[in-house]
This record gives sequence, C-alpha cells and structure tokens, in this order.
Amino acid sequence: MAETIREYLDTVQEQIRWKRARPVVARELEQHLNDQRGAFLEEGNTPETAERLAVEEMGDPVTVGTELDRVHRPKPQWWLLTATIALALLGGFLRVWLTASGADMYEAVSPFRTAIALALGTACLLGAYFLDYTWLTHHAFGVYIGALAAGVLSLWLSPDINYVSYYTRYVVLLYPTVYAVWLYHCRRKRWKGLLLAILGGVPLAIIGWLAPYVLGVLLLMVTGFVLLLTAADMDWFGVGRAKTAAVALGMAAAIAGSVVWQVWKNGWCQGRLLRFLHPELDPLGGGYQAMTVRKVLSVSQWRGTGNWSETGAVFPFERSVPDWTLDFLPTTVIYKLGWLPFILLVLAVGGLMLRLLWKCLRQKNQTGRLVALSVIAPLTLQTVFSVMQNLGYILFSASMPLVTGNLPTVITMGLIGLALSVFREEPIAREESVEQNAASSIRLSLRNEKDAQNGNHVLGVSLIISRDGTKKTESTSE
Amino acid sequence: MEIDKSLVSGSMALLVLKLLEDGDKYGYQMIEELRRRSNDTFHLKAGTLYPLLHGLEEKGLVTAYEREAAAGKPRRYYHMTKAGGAALREKEESWNTYARAVGWVLKGGACFG
Repeated sequence: MAETIREYLDTVQEQIRWKRARPVVARELEQHLNDQRGAFLEEGNTPETAERLAVEEMGDPVTVGTELDRVHRPKPQWWLLTATIALALLGGFLRVWLTASGADMYEAVSPFRTAIALALGTACLLGAYFLDYTWLTHHAFGVYIGALAAGVLSLWLSPDINYVSYYTRYVVLLYPTVYAVWLYHCRRKRWKGLLLAILGGVPLAIIGWLAPYVLGVLLLMVTGFVLLLTAADMDWFGVGRAKTAAVALGMAAAIAGSVVWQVWKNGWCQGRLLRFLHPELDPLGGGYQAMTVRKVLSVSQWRGTGNWSETGAVFPFERSVPDWTLDFLPTTVIYKLGWLPFILLVLAVGGLMLRLLWKCLRQKNQTGRLVALSVIAPLTLQTVFSVMQNLGYILFSASMPLVTGNLPTVITMGLIGLALSVFREEPIAREESVEQNAASSIRLSLRNEKDAQNGNHVLGVSLIISRDGTKKTESTSE
Repeated sequence: MEIDKSLVSGSMALLVLKLLEDGDKYGYQMIEELRRRSNDTFHLKAGTLYPLLHGLEEKGLVTAYEREAAAGKPRRYYHMTKAGGAALREKEESWNTYARAVGWVLKGGACFG
C-alpha cells in the first residue's frame, strides 16, 4: 500500500497504459494531494502523518489508475488512415495504368517509382501519425529556422524544371504548417508577438515567390490569414480578439488591395486572369492548355474512353494534352475512363478533405486545431484548384492530393499523418497544452511545500513567476 | 449515518455538474464544497472524482483550464459547458422523478386522489 505521495502517484501511473497521459494525470493528482496534505498539516499532524492521511483519503491507487486508464486513451484514426492509404493506392494505380500508353514517349509513370513513393508515403503517414506533434510546437523556433534553411538550400541546389525550382515547390507546401508552428512561438508576446507573427510569414512567402511558385505563395497567404484569424479568435497574443482580428483583416485588405493593383497595372497578371476566363482568346498561346482540356472534355463519355478523333487533332491524345501524366491526370481519367469515374474520384478526395476539415474544426485543443488547419486548408484549396484546372479553368496548376504525382503524394501523406496525429492525441494534448501554460508555476509549488514543512511560523519569501513570464516577490508570514 | 455507496455512485455526475453550476472549481474545492453542502454526508474520494471529471471532459460536458489559485498555486479548474448544463437539467429531472417514485413506494404507494 502506498504511503507517500510519490509512491501513490507511481502506482497510479503504472495502471495507465498511454504513457503520454501519465504525467498530465499525475500532475493534477499531485496538486490535490498537496492541498490535502496541507489541510492535515493545519490540523496539527506531523508532515509524515499528513502525507499518509492525504494518500489514504485519495483512495486505492490501483483502482484510481485503472479508472483513469479507461478514460485516457488515444483516439485511433484507423478509418481515416485506411481511407488515405486506399486513395493513395488508387492514385498510384491510375498514374501507372493510364499513362502506360505514353511509354514510347518516355512519359509513362514508372511502376517501380510509384511503388517506392507509395511505400515512402505510407511510412511518412504512419510516422507523422505516431509522432507527438507537440514536438514541433515545443521546438517552434528551430522548426521555423530549419524550414527557412531548407527553402534557401532548395533554391540554391534544386534544378529548375519549367523555370521553377523543382524541390522548392515541395518545401513551400510545408510552409503553412511551419507558419502555424511560428504562430505558436509568437503567442503571449502581446503586440511584439503579433508583429513577429505577421513578419514571420514574409520570408516564407519570399522563398515561394523566388521559386517561383505562385500557387504555393497563395496557399501560404490564404492559410496564413485563416490561421491568424483563428489565433485572434483564441486571443493567442494577449492583445484582445477584436484588435488581433482587426490587424489581420487590415493586413489581408492591404495585401488584397496590392494584388488588385498588380492585376490592374501588370500586363502579365491581366493576361493570366483573361486566359482563365477566356482561354479562347489565345488558343495557341497562353490559353492552349485550357482549350485542349475543354476539347478533351467535349469528346469524353459518361463511361469509357472518349473519341479523340472527333476533335480533328493531328496527334493522338497523349501527344496533344500537356502534362497529361501529371497535373492533368484527372483530365486523362475523364478521357480514358469517363466522367463517372472522375466524379467518383473527386467525391472521394473531396469527401476525405471535408471529413478532415470537420474533425479539425471540432478540435478542442487550440494548438492542435491550428496545426491540423494548416494541413487541411491548403490541401482543400489544392483540390479545388485541381478540379477547376481539369475542367478547363486554369488559374493555377495544382496537384490533386493523393492522386497526382509521386513526390506530391509522399508529402500529402506525411501532412495528413500530422493532422491525424492531432486527432489521435486530442484527449491528452488538450490537457498538456494547459500544463505548458503554467509550467513556470511548478517551482512555486515546491517552494511552498518546503516552507510548510519547515515549521509553523515561517517568515518567507515566495517567488511567483506568472504565466506571462513576469516575476514578482511576495512576502508571507505565518 | 453512513450512506450506502451504491446510492451515491449513480448520481455522482449530477452532483459534480451541480457544483459547477455556480462557478468554476478545482477538484479539491469540489470535494470540500460537496461535503459542506451535504452537511458532511458526502465524503467523495478524490480517486473517484478525477476519473469522473476526466470522463465528463471527454464527453464535452466540462472543459478544464489551469489558473493560479490562492497563493499562486496552479490549479486545474473545471468549467461546465452548455452541453453540461443541458445534461445537468436532464439528470436533475430524472433524479427528481426517481426520488418521487422512491418516496411514493416508501410511503406505501402514490395517492391518486
């Protein structure tokens, strides 16, 4: 039978199978035991007797631990894990199967590389799923600096493909999550934190811009704005919700205004917007891709392969549609398999994204919600842009998550794994985030215990370190 | 007089939610408050209270946050959510129905006029 607080807590913790829950539970029980011991000390008991009585008052540690073990379990996300892997497998199968006809042009997607990517993607998914995502927030500054360094290195070392730094594109896809982690780093620093939070997004956006990867920058900015508003709603910086939201909205308005100004003044932007709305105005130039896709769609069937000959094109489908094995793979699905399989595919990917988004918005843990949102918002936007692109409305070239491209699939699976890790750890992360808030106060608790044990009449000085890091001294006498 | 534990255990969630109705409290405070309000009848063990509180939190009936209590000691406070308030009203109603029915039986049956 446990006689000391330490023994009691150890026995309780031994009953709890989820290791991450143990310190969180033990901390609350320890606080209670200390209160109870203090009460018995006040009744005139010796410290040893007071501690023993406090432990007895608590109840059997094995029963208590077993009860707490029932409550504190990770929430497994098997269904979403299975759905992600199944969709990635389907995407991989479609990539290999539908592009096999491009073998003579060296455009067929390699089955071997696809298998490697799927294996790597699954490893990333499961690795991130079992990762303690709070590690990222605990090392927020290092993560941010590391991400910047990776971006700069990729700009320097990566080959350019179609005038874009190839690997920088994929580094930039991670930046919304890096930004969420950065926001965590800036919280509780009041106006300085809010300023740092905003400025922290600038180097990330510059790296995306230098790639140049316009969609990546857009995903970062839109997601960053959503994250900043979410942080404002949670008053992360401590300057008030309304003020934070006003700054975020003001900043968004300024950026949106400058974008409109650029579109208005810059001929390239105007042309791009015009080609998005009316590709037929430049069918052999900037509107070629969109016009080709629309041509493909016009000869596609509900089910089965379309009649390419009806378009009157000189070259076969594989030679006429640019990137038909890459970002336009969904167009290939429509042409080779029909509209129905395409709609089912979009419903599957969109359904997964909506399910993830729904779970994310229900997160009670603030940090978890922000991290999950930083993953899901860009993936959802990518899905929307990809569908638009494959229906002939090309504003940005986007990959359809889990369907298009081997490397994008690996990164998407890793990111989804991170979001699932947030959902899995929701029960305990909710509590641990609070533990972090008051970690500085633990020393105070120990100091008070010592004072209480030293005697009945103590003239002592307690050091109080409050949550915002400020220190003050408080003299106490009994 | 010692109360049969089985009488209390079924209604513990009701009592805990009721304690949180008029303000956020931490565990030790709840035990003391319950003892006071029950005129020293209910001696709730902390080992019973915390699994119950954590279960209520898991169900979304209460939320928890950490705040410094008196003398700067950090304490984990519990706050009843809207869902918790609704559950409390429901449990109160069930309890009143049950208590009335038990009362009728003990008195020899309900009087219908």
